[in-house]
Amino acid sequence: MRTRTNYFAGFGSALWLLVVAIPVYVLVSASFQTQQGYSAGGPLALPTTFTLDNYANAFRSGFGLYFINTLVVTFSVIAIVLLLVPPLSYAIVRGQSRMTRGVFQLFLLGLAVPSTAVIVPIFYLISSAGLYDNLLGVILPTAAFALPVCTLILSGSMRDITPELYEAMAVDGASPLRTFFRLVVPLSKGGISTIVVFSALQAWNGFLFPLILTQSESTRMITLGLFNFQTQYGVNVPALLAAVMLSMLPVLLVYLFARRTLVQGLMGMGGK
Amino acid sequence: MKNKQRMWLKRSVAGGAAIAVAVTMAGCSGGASAESRPENEIHVAVYGDATNKVEEQIVATFNETSDVKVVLDKIPGADYQQKLQTVISTSSAPDVFFNWGGGSIQEFVDADLLLPLDDFIEEDPGLQDNFLSSVFDTAVIDDKPYGVPMRGTQPVMLFHNKTVLAEAGIEAPTTWDELLDAVEVLSAKGITPIALGGADQWPTQMWYQYVYDRVAGPELFATALAGDTEVWESDESREALGMLSDLIDAGAFGTNFDSVKFTDGGSPALLRSGKAAFELMGSWAYATQQDADPEFAATSLGYTAFPAIEGGKGDPANIAGNTNNFYSVIKATRYPDTARDFLKLMYSDEFVQAQLAIGNLPTTTNTEEFLDTAANPDYSTFQFELVQDAPSFQLSWDQAYPPSAGTPLKVAVQQFFNGQIDADGFISAMQAL
Amino acid sequence: MGRPGFVWAAPATLFFGLFALVPLVFVVVLSFTTWSGLGDPKFTGLDNWVAIFDDPILIKSLGLTVLFVVLALITQIPLSILLGVWAAGFQRNRAVLSAIYFIPLLLSSAAISVLWRALLDPNFGIPGQLPWLFGDGNLFGKQSSAIGVLTFVAMWQFTPFYTLIFQGAARAIPPVLYQAAQIDGAGTVSQFFNVTLPQLKNSIVTSVILMVVGGLTAFDTVLILTNGGPGTDTTVTPFYMYQKAFRAFDFGQASAIAVVLVLAATAISLVLVRVSGYGKMQSAQDGI
Repeated sequence: MRTRTNYFAGFGSALWLLVVAIPVYVLVSASFQTQQGYSAGGPLALPTTFTLDNYANAFRSGFGLYFINTLVVTFSVIAIVLLLVPPLSYAIVRGQSRMTRGVFQLFLLGLAVPSTAVIVPIFYLISSAGLYDNLLGVILPTAAFALPVCTLILSGSMRDITPELYEAMAVDGASPLRTFFRLVVPLSKGGISTIVVFSALQAWNGFLFPLILTQSESTRMITLGLFNFQTQYGVNVPALLAAVMLSMLPVLLVYLFARRTLVQGLMGMGGK
Repeated sequence: MKNKQRMWLKRSVAGGAAIAVAVTMAGCSGGASAESRPENEIHVAVYGDATNKVEEQIVATFNETSDVKVVLDKIPGADYQQKLQTVISTSSAPDVFFNWGGGSIQEFVDADLLLPLDDFIEEDPGLQDNFLSSVFDTAVIDDKPYGVPMRGTQPVMLFHNKTVLAEAGIEAPTTWDELLDAVEVLSAKGITPIALGGADQWPTQMWYQYVYDRVAGPELFATALAGDTEVWESDESREALGMLSDLIDAGAFGTNFDSVKFTDGGSPALLRSGKAAFELMGSWAYATQQDADPEFAATSLGYTAFPAIEGGKGDPANIAGNTNNFYSVIKATRYPDTARDFLKLMYSDEFVQAQLAIGNLPTTTNTEEFLDTAANPDYSTFQFELVQDAPSFQLSWDQAYPPSAGTPLKVAVQQFFNGQIDADGFISAMQAL
Repeated sequence: MGRPGFVWAAPATLFFGLFALVPLVFVVVLSFTTWSGLGDPKFTGLDNWVAIFDDPILIKSLGLTVLFVVLALITQIPLSILLGVWAAGFQRNRAVLSAIYFIPLLLSSAAISVLWRALLDPNFGIPGQLPWLFGDGNLFGKQSSAIGVLTFVAMWQFTPFYTLIFQGAARAIPPVLYQAAQIDGAGTVSQFFNVTLPQLKNSIVTSVILMVVGGLTAFDTVLILTNGGPGTDTTVTPFYMYQKAFRAFDFGQASAIAVVLVLAATAISLVLVRVSGYGKMQSAQDGI
């Protein structure tokens, strides 16, 4: 209605569709083939064999446990972010003191601290605290480094609440606590779901912190499991790709059952 | 209201300070004291791979009778050395850990972190006498033993695909010239003569190790390692580099070797599928091929020693690779006696047979009696003789140097092979290590 | 009365301070020491700083890092704007296609790198099947193609995300603006440039910031796909720092490199924040 058919964009989209779909096809088809079948036909061929062995193989090499570890980390990170970011953003948006402004600047600058750059002291900090090779040691820094972006998103979304609404609460004599739970939280649901999605993806995809801060089988997360799977002697590609498939399964489930929230959440990251 | 907020602020600040103090305290006490280590268990860290089943079995055997239990920590191979270095001086350090001897533990010895094993050996001389001395010596540093061999020896050999060689009408080469001839014949047939996982870098390094050893003898590398880097400029060094260039220029490795990996199964698949005829690789390549295709490993996988180089200084019976892996013990361990008793199992019959059964070749003096129980007796016997008869066993270059030299070494090795640097560039890179 | 005080911000600030700012101070201190992780750090003054600015690989890595960020910006931004605006339409088939576009977002960087490494194997991957397109398939053996692969994989991975951002922003553009443009006789192309693009300005700034910060931390993809090679031809600064720290155990020099990274990132963000006016949005009144 508002734009006419755009052939150029349509063509571009179709081309990009191929670029996305071909690897996905290879991923799915190879993960159900035997190694011989895959190497004989090559990645693009139509599958001639079918097997579930690759998946069994992935589970045998511990992916079930890696899953649980990753879930634990993901949910803990979400919990910390939900506990810390909404009050912080509220203070940034409505607070008056100079300190609060300073805090916002601090988090803006924090956005620019690459986690790679501070990994050495973090390693030192975590191992001094006795949290080396402990999931908590991954959870804490992962959550900390999700804070700046989450704060930026949520305070952006809280700014959409009009001053009139705050004033109305103030006239009723509401305390900041009451204002927060009655007004701010309900009206920034969109922003809150965005930060949940963002921090969940950060935790789920985290690589650096698990790589440096954990070592044993019992604390391994999926991303590291994949990395190690590849570097073991005698790996076969279909089994590796089956492991990749498994690694996306939980996100896929969330996507299927909560697609709207997930997509809306990610869209929200762009702000207005 | 304001007061309440102040209280909260105070508490938060106090809480934060408490955390900070706790962290600092933990940092100070987190060092080497035995009391801070777990009670009634010792941790044994090993390189995580397919061999772990033997380690698991030995640990289970040990725990049946011991009150202090052994806990096996399998650390994924790719970042083993990194993990070790980062934890070894903390309270999370393992009591006993896997290593490659030589450069891999030198720094720990210098930092006074390791327990010299003299006392253990005095109590049980078998901890030294039951191992081949050339192997045991790799973990002797400043005249003190720091490690007990705990896996199999892994010499590097030239593997070939028998079917491909037969079709091309050539024999496995015993000299460098025969190798060059084979490369010519195979290239003409459109086959990549030699599979090389160049993206991993260390497979490329194996070619240098052997050619340098054959041309100049083991002394050149030993001299360089000891600090006299002039030798990299010697005529022999240049001759070795020239021979490598000849081989590369003859198209021996094809053109895309830097995109191929051994570790993701790429180069073994080339050899197996007949797209390549040879691969220079450690003895574990047999197990890799067997996992992928037992039929191929049994009938078509051939192996020989590295070809002799006529006129070279090095004995053609010299070999290179990983002499063995070792268990070392840290000084801070709470239960040295348990560690000692655990190490004794490394020369037990059960250990030797279990290693042989999965294709590893232990380096104990009793290995020979059990060779016929090996997974593949022919292969194990061939290797055992290779190791036994070798006048010199060159430890892999990147293991011989301390870890800090690892990356620049492997970068130089890769760059000379793909033409990014010439012989002079390689020489100055090696001198800068 | 009625306004939240600093207490509301304190827990998050302390937490962030402990894990980001305290380590930052540590990094600066460590950059003046030599330390291999064993024993205690020893002060060596400016040695590390002299060493790293004398290090051709570091200089090269800084150039490569900038190159990768620029390549990411010029490939991902236009593509995701086009796709996002296109997908903002409400037709049914677009919803289905959008669902497919979305798939790379379900995969972690590690999974994506592992997948592409297998797909791009010269002998047993796609290049082996399409020699007319890939030649000998030596994609990881030459600098230009290795950079190409990394840029392409980043594009494959992140375009869906930015597409979503632009899709959301495009949907939020008031239809009135288009109607007005149509009355003025503007065609599709003119509408795109005069209405859509200006309305997407904020989303573009956000995307640029995210890409720059991402580019300065990018490390897992390089580690798994190219390991910095061939030679040091794709060794970007964060990866070089990782190598110095956790392969060579030279935590002192690694920290000096880390300080360089932090300074670069801070400078870039300051510029972007100033340009975008983020910094001014301190209260609700300014924000809208």
